[in-house]
Amino acid sequence: MNRFELVEPATLDEAVALLDPDDSAVRAVAGATALILMMKARLFRPSRLVSLRRLQGTLRGVHDEPAGGLRIGALTTLTDLERSDRVRAAAPVVSRALRTLSNVRVRNVATLGGHLAHGDPHMDLPPILMTLGARVRVVSRRGDRWIEMQDLVRGYYVTSIANDELIADVHLPAQPADAHTWYEKFTALSADDWPTVGVAVWYRTGAGRITDARLAVGAATERPMRLAAAEASLIGAAADPASFARAADAAADAIEPLADIRGSAAYKREMVRVHVRRALDKGR
Amino acid sequence: MADSHPTLREIGRSLPRLESRAKVNGSVEYIHNLRLPGMLHGKIHRSAIAHGRIVRIDAGAALAVEGVHAVVTAEDVLGICPNPYYGPAFHDQPILALGKVRHVGEPVAIVLAADPHIAEEAADLVSVEYEPLEAVFDEVAAAAPGAPVSHDELRPAGTFTDLKHLAGRKGTNVALETRVRRGDADAGFARADRVFEHTFRTGKVMHAAFEPMVSLAELHGADGLTIHTASQSPSFVRSEIGRLLGWPENRVRVRTAFLGGGFGAKLYIKLEAMVAVCALLVRRPVRIALTMDEQFYTITKHGATVRIKTGVTSDGRMTSRKVETYWNGGAYADIGPRVTQKSGFTAAGPYDIESVALDNYAVYTNDPPAGALRGFGISQLVWAYERQADLIARALGIDPLEFRRRNALRSGGTHATGTTVYGMEVDAVLDRLAERMAWHRPFDRGAGTIRRGRGLAIGVKACVSPTTSTAAVHVHGDGSCAIHCSTVDMGQASDTTLAQMAAEVLGLPTTAIRLIRPDTDVTPYDMATLGSRSTFHMGNAVVRAAEDVRDQLLRIAAAALRVDLAELECRDQAIVSRGGARLTFGDAMRARFAMQAGTLVGVGSYTPHYTKPDGETGQSPDITPFWMLGGAGAEIAVDCETGRIEVTKLVNVADVGRAINPASVERQLTSAAIMQLGFTLFEEMVFSDGQVLNASLADYKIPGLLDLPRDLTGSFVEVPHRDGPFGAKGVGETGVFSPAPAIANALYDAVGITIFEMPLTPERVLRALRESENRPLEKD
Repeated sequence: MNRFELVEPATLDEAVALLDPDDSAVRAVAGATALILMMKARLFRPSRLVSLRRLQGTLRGVHDEPAGGLRIGALTTLTDLERSDRVRAAAPVVSRALRTLSNVRVRNVATLGGHLAHGDPHMDLPPILMTLGARVRVVSRRGDRWIEMQDLVRGYYVTSIANDELIADVHLPAQPADAHTWYEKFTALSADDWPTVGVAVWYRTGAGRITDARLAVGAATERPMRLAAAEASLIGAAADPASFARAADAAADAIEPLADIRGSAAYKREMVRVHVRRALDKGR
Repeated sequence: MADSHPTLREIGRSLPRLESRAKVNGSVEYIHNLRLPGMLHGKIHRSAIAHGRIVRIDAGAALAVEGVHAVVTAEDVLGICPNPYYGPAFHDQPILALGKVRHVGEPVAIVLAADPHIAEEAADLVSVEYEPLEAVFDEVAAAAPGAPVSHDELRPAGTFTDLKHLAGRKGTNVALETRVRRGDADAGFARADRVFEHTFRTGKVMHAAFEPMVSLAELHGADGLTIHTASQSPSFVRSEIGRLLGWPENRVRVRTAFLGGGFGAKLYIKLEAMVAVCALLVRRPVRIALTMDEQFYTITKHGATVRIKTGVTSDGRMTSRKVETYWNGGAYADIGPRVTQKSGFTAAGPYDIESVALDNYAVYTNDPPAGALRGFGISQLVWAYERQADLIARALGIDPLEFRRRNALRSGGTHATGTTVYGMEVDAVLDRLAERMAWHRPFDRGAGTIRRGRGLAIGVKACVSPTTSTAAVHVHGDGSCAIHCSTVDMGQASDTTLAQMAAEVLGLPTTAIRLIRPDTDVTPYDMATLGSRSTFHMGNAVVRAAEDVRDQLLRIAAAALRVDLAELECRDQAIVSRGGARLTFGDAMRARFAMQAGTLVGVGSYTPHYTKPDGETGQSPDITPFWMLGGAGAEIAVDCETGRIEVTKLVNVADVGRAINPASVERQLTSAAIMQLGFTLFEEMVFSDGQVLNASLADYKIPGLLDLPRDLTGSFVEVPHRDGPFGAKGVGETGVFSPAPAIANALYDAVGITIFEMPLTPERVLRALRESENRPLEKD
């Protein structure tokens, strides 16, 4: 690990002031579970780390929004989220997914903001939050802006968050009572491995037909992404195994999986097919 | 056999570990936590290429980093150590790369600094120019004529007389070739009704001990050197460092503490020669501690290619077997040639086969070095012969369990090496497996996309020989007792097991016995803590030492109490006579030394009988002190859409002679099975041009609690061994032998596919399934 400056600002304003729009070696850090691994592997050599530790008072916690939905502070730990009654009531798919996200040691310190800002395609929550229609509020000295969850991760470890921006909170809209949701995670190696494929589904039905559908895949592709063709194939279709299989084929055809030690591209494509179908079925 | 020990008090009890409390409250000593005053940290600059000549090493940029004390290269090593090659079987591994590098990750330079982060940063700045040479990674290709050769000539160590003939051999990557010949295998095939021939492979895996390797060296006195090291073999380290430095052994002190796991990784020389040379160069204490990631480039388990050909009669008797095994030893031999030979001669399995021909090749490649890993090569062989056993049994329509019974090698039979077998309880192990697996009851094989299967396997190991152990038991002035021995407790419960034996002899509670941590200035020689040998070898030495000191106490008591020696025994924490007289050990010491003072020392050594095998035929009347037999049964569920295997039940059964501490024995069996479960299902080092693509625990996954079978048990059968202490045999490795083929046999039972290469990853399984359904998955 190289020498670097560690600063611990006390306010969000101070924190964003310490970031540098032009220097990617200046990074904000919260739980540091992912960043420290990259630093130890010397894949990332910071010049300055801006620790957000002292901002927990303002940026940690799950709050009800007046207009419905939840506002989740970026420094909320994954364990906080896992145990939050509000999250469980609003989006049980999130609570359930957290129980198999990495391990309890990591969840105790890793934060929601870090999980999203890292841009790692293997994260579990981005595809789920995409299907739930979540939005992220980022702040900088230039002010606030909103990023739709599906626009957040733009490539392999590339996000649309600028160097001088920080995630402040995540807004999870109120979900319709009839929404079917599921997250299907498949690990090829140990049970606590990164997912080889993660598939999130969200759909609504009326008169036995699917009226709206959102599907997203993580881990298999270079970034978490919505599966538009599969979604389209579901609209107006019956919520039955045949439709689910058609959507699964559409999903498998649409993606370009990345081969790695967890599987070849062909295998991951097949796993997306299997798990899209299973997620739709289990969401029923 | 319990009759021969009618009054056992401490043996056979599941006592808690002596060190449990200290381990839980964090006060137990690990070398990893040791810091010495004035110490420098060493960080290693490693080779980025698999094979090449070193043209130039430029340490300028590293030396310019503020806080860097020195940069050490092979040039500096030569000033301390003119012949800097080490190794237990071959003196082939330079302390730092000398002239060329032979694998990615080979240490080329060491940067020393008081701050480890500065040393690490500067280690990156060492610049090495290479002239790349062609590399070879596959063990079969490397053994073929014309393969790029890593070592200009073979350099066997003098310690193994049977390797002497190899000295100076040039132009080959085959470090050692060993053979076993019994009968005429080819004639046997000609007579057989059916002949089966298969090739099996296993990949490279790593030990992943949770305390990574760590060694510190400091100068002491006018001419001494102390090495603190997380080592399984302190005695070997002392003699090898002495040899490298040209010093008598008594100037080198090697001490160790509890180890956070070892599994064979922390044997022989790992970091000890580096810290010794660095400390002598800079005249300050030096510490080198590896990261988890660096261990992937330090020592691995052998990948192996096993070609196995077996002739059988139509009623299922194996009559002839040929096994040809290529062991991927990586760039340096380490203990690989011993793995090759000592495991290689068991390649026909626990079977009574008339004609056997076994060929084993220890092969240099440009992978990181391979050495011992829990089982010493056995699991690679069992993988082949137990998978093939099932394929034969199925082809002949014979129940797999019955097939094994029909061919089993039993006590009194003759092993392929010519040794008459003693203490191989194959029927008892198979009976227990059948019972635990409910083998003769119907089994639900599932339907739809989840299919179930079950399988079993048995494997055998011959405990390594010849080796020797010595122990001393001290009785102090107040009568308290301590065992001095160099067995290293790395989590296997050897302290408690050895204390139970001494306590039994001395009539003391086990908790009253203290173990002195291995320290070559203090504790006697022991070959090493490896190969499941400590319970048997050190156990015998401890029993003899305890008997020696007990007899001294009895003689003192006989004189003090004026009773006949035959009237006395050690019992209930004292020396008691049949007539009811009683003398505590403290009383006895006062009687002997006329005050509460003095020391009594009991000494015991153990070296089992052994006859070196014939070089051409591998025949020996006495090849091993004891056989270790292990069986496993597995029930699995296969997800036919993903290829993922869930092991729902895993039973391990071992023939242990006698369980000194039954709970520890069960834990050894179960923990070994968990380790092997990882190797079977998903652990594998993935290489690209010698570079490990998953050299970290983020990408090299080991089993966690969620991966354990719901039903996971260890079970043992006890038939006391004539030579074992209280009848005990070693058990640390037995649980690794058979789970892999048992699981693969269950996979065949479930879905009818055969995979020849470990691990059984979901993708490999799905590909094989889809192949069998004639709708193969695209290549990539």
